Amino acid sequence: MNVNRLTIVGTRTRSQRLALVGAVLLGALLLCAISAPWLAPFDPTERVTRPFAAPSAEHWLGADDVGHDLLSMLIHGARISLFVGIVAAVIATAVGTIVGVVAGYARGVVDTVLMRIVDVVLALPVLPLTIVIGVFAGPGLRTQIMVISAVLWAGLARELRAQVLTLRERDHIQAERAMGAGPGYVLWRHIAPSVVPLVVPQFVLTIKTAVLLEASLAFLGLGDISAASWGSMLSMAHARSAFLTDAWIWWVIPPGVAIAVTVLAFALLGNAIEERSHPILLPAKRSRKKAATAPAPVDPDVDAGAPLVIDDLTVVYGQDGRGATGVGFTVGAGELVALVGESGSGKSTVAAATMGLLPPAAQIVSGAVRVDGRDVAGMSPAELRGLRGNRIALIPQEALSALDPVYTIGSQIDEAVLAHRSCTRAQARERTLELLADVGLEADRVDAYPHQLSGGMRQRVVIAMALANEPDVLVADEPTSGLDVLREAEVLALLDELRVRRSLALLIVTHNLPVVERIADRIAVMKDGELVEIGTAEQVVGSPTHPYTRKLVESAPRLRPSLQEVFS
Amino acid sequence: MVILRRAGQYALVLWAAVTLNFALPHLAPGDPVGYLYVGELQGLGEKYLAELRAGYGLDRPILEQYLSFWSGLLRGDLGMSVQYNRPVLDVLGEKLSWTVALVGISMVLAFVIGTLLGAWAAWRRGTAKETGTVVGVLVVDSMPAFWVGMILIAVFSVTLGWFPSYGAATITATGGQWLAEVASRMVLPVATLTIASIGGFFLMTRASMIGVLDEPFIRLARAKGLGEFRVAIRHALRNAVLPVYTTLTLTVGVLLSGAVVVESVFAYPGLGKLTYDAVTARDYPLLQGAFLLATVGIVAANLLADLTYPLLDPRVRRDRTAAEGRTEVAV
Repeated sequence: MNVNRLTIVGTRTRSQRLALVGAVLLGALLLCAISAPWLAPFDPTERVTRPFAAPSAEHWLGADDVGHDLLSMLIHGARISLFVGIVAAVIATAVGTIVGVVAGYARGVVDTVLMRIVDVVLALPVLPLTIVIGVFAGPGLRTQIMVISAVLWAGLARELRAQVLTLRERDHIQAERAMGAGPGYVLWRHIAPSVVPLVVPQFVLTIKTAVLLEASLAFLGLGDISAASWGSMLSMAHARSAFLTDAWIWWVIPPGVAIAVTVLAFALLGNAIEERSHPILLPAKRSRKKAATAPAPVDPDVDAGAPLVIDDLTVVYGQDGRGATGVGFTVGAGELVALVGESGSGKSTVAAATMGLLPPAAQIVSGAVRVDGRDVAGMSPAELRGLRGNRIALIPQEALSALDPVYTIGSQIDEAVLAHRSCTRAQARERTLELLADVGLEADRVDAYPHQLSGGMRQRVVIAMALANEPDVLVADEPTSGLDVLREAEVLALLDELRVRRSLALLIVTHNLPVVERIADRIAVMKDGELVEIGTAEQVVGSPTHPYTRKLVESAPRLRPSLQEVFS
Repeated sequence: MVILRRAGQYALVLWAAVTLNFALPHLAPGDPVGYLYVGELQGLGEKYLAELRAGYGLDRPILEQYLSFWSGLLRGDLGMSVQYNRPVLDVLGEKLSWTVALVGISMVLAFVIGTLLGAWAAWRRGTAKETGTVVGVLVVDSMPAFWVGMILIAVFSVTLGWFPSYGAATITATGGQWLAEVASRMVLPVATLTIASIGGFFLMTRASMIGVLDEPFIRLARAKGLGEFRVAIRHALRNAVLPVYTTLTLTVGVLLSGAVVVESVFAYPGLGKLTYDAVTARDYPLLQGAFLLATVGIVAANLLADLTYPLLDPRVRRDRTAAEGRTEVAV
């Protein structure tokens, strides 16, 4: 999560800088197009010098095969290219917006029919389609604008429909509709303000595509003969063998560069606006809670020789966002420690630090995490790889998304075995089958894909995977989230049994105190990045000292069946 | 169910292409019969024109014309090419293989280069090198394909003389010589088309890979102690490619459009060059046939993608274990 947010901050300033480049380029191009009659030194349709004239002080870009001044043609070409691009994009955007909003809002038959049409238009080959229509309609600016907008509206309609569909289902809009607000009112009051920011980037990107398409059509001879765009200039250069002389350097390169610069400018600008208007792409604001001032409790049972030692650990995100401050506790062999806290309390940061899986933006500023006596923070990437999945293993939450959907569970467990053992595939598979039996899964599940298993089974698969190399430390991150009460109890019982049988140091990270209070030896409570309480399960649940812990204990529903009740 | 819906969709696309072909001569300004005899109708009397219209059935009710258009089509009758004075289908058939080879090779190249580069960019997201690559790809993507071809000709054919700039083969060459000839004449068009279509693959893969890299299974792959390269290729890229593969519609369309201009630039004897010449000669029946064939090509490519997609994604395989698994899913 945090990686994502922070890298996007970086990308965002970058795309803004690029957008500025795009905007400046566009400004220059538009200015050039508007002031073409005054800016161009000659009339682009007059023969002003000898054919194929090389660049000179008077004719900076030389002349074409009949003696037209190429610089003047280039400047005037901007008008045609931009005019066709912008007008076609305006039409395409208008049609696309109307179709998208109507389909998304009306749904039902109207939506189905409109979207089938959109699908068909999107499936037809763009250039052959525009050519065949263009030829029948006769070449010219009007035809170009018509065919370009005819193929470009559909993509926009599809995009907007999806957005409107989600907008429509927002709670406040549903509430208004339920209270009898008419479609016109809802569309104008709520949908339109949300749709406009989505339309703007699409419009800019559509201009980009339209300019490129115009160039292709003009190159194929479907442009206006009297008003030469950049594409028409290239078409003429190609038809009249500009390559026979050095003329191509000043005849072919400039119009192509002009098209590329224009398209690039629109692309940079469009992408940047799109990123801004897409809420998901925006960096979420991190809550900066003030660190509590009370001294952190110290683990009374510090055991420096424990398999997992977290020693006064402070992790910082980015500049000043604190992840964890001065957290210290140990997990001994065969011990089950539960790390409890709400989301944002820093418990996941601690869990990630133990695995050496902190996002790049996070930094351990002081303290240490020691697994089997070795400091994780000081390890090279290769050493870390040798440790992870070997001496310390992770049991992730939501096994469905934690398993790669495209491989069988067998091959994924094999992979964990092979990462740390030099053995044959057959030997790895043997080990995999052993592991499946250990967690209570039948051997024939080995070739199943994750989506073919139930939630409880998948959780067993990731446990088997974690056990692959007989680790000393297991970190279980919300190991029962998404499971029903019965599966939850089963999975916890399995974990409890495994840590006893294999004398594992087991750290369970959870927001759910009741889930772990019966099986944990000790419970550590975190809030706002700090450890607020640690002690035996009886102490913490029975007589909590910190007000936050008291709140946690009191608010927890005590209606769950105990493990004994479930299995008796 | 999904298959049926897809089949219906493709049938609809083909129907739309055929109907558009039928409608265009009627909707366009001028006499529909004029589109069958380009520029040869001037000075003919109205009586003769009426005879011509009757000869082509253009005086019959529109629905009847539409049905006979379809029945002709189903018999493989796409009309006569004005320019070649031969059946359109024959003319198209001769050129088809060159375009299939050109588009096919370029597509594979653009796919491989584009996805690898896109995956790399997502992996190195936020670094200066990545910014440079993204901007570089956007720049290349902004250049018109035909212009790229013209520049390649100017540099590699005219200035350096490394590759021929036009045609696909010479008639006189045979055997190995012929192959070498074909290969050397294919280099520049393939390079142009590849350069012009890398951008789409790059941007799609990059976006998809950025999403995949946030997936918990990537974290678990690292937690297992796998090397970064293995995580990137075997887990991240393998999953990031899936949506790229399913949006083949867009890709094939882009490549076919690119083929039209690229073949025109290199005088490559495929469907694209044929289309270009048909525009110049106003050979309407041939253009309609080329458009229809391009649509069939897109539909065929998508059908192929639909049929092969289950090989890439086990979640859509319809096998017994899957059905069994579905009933077991708890919660």
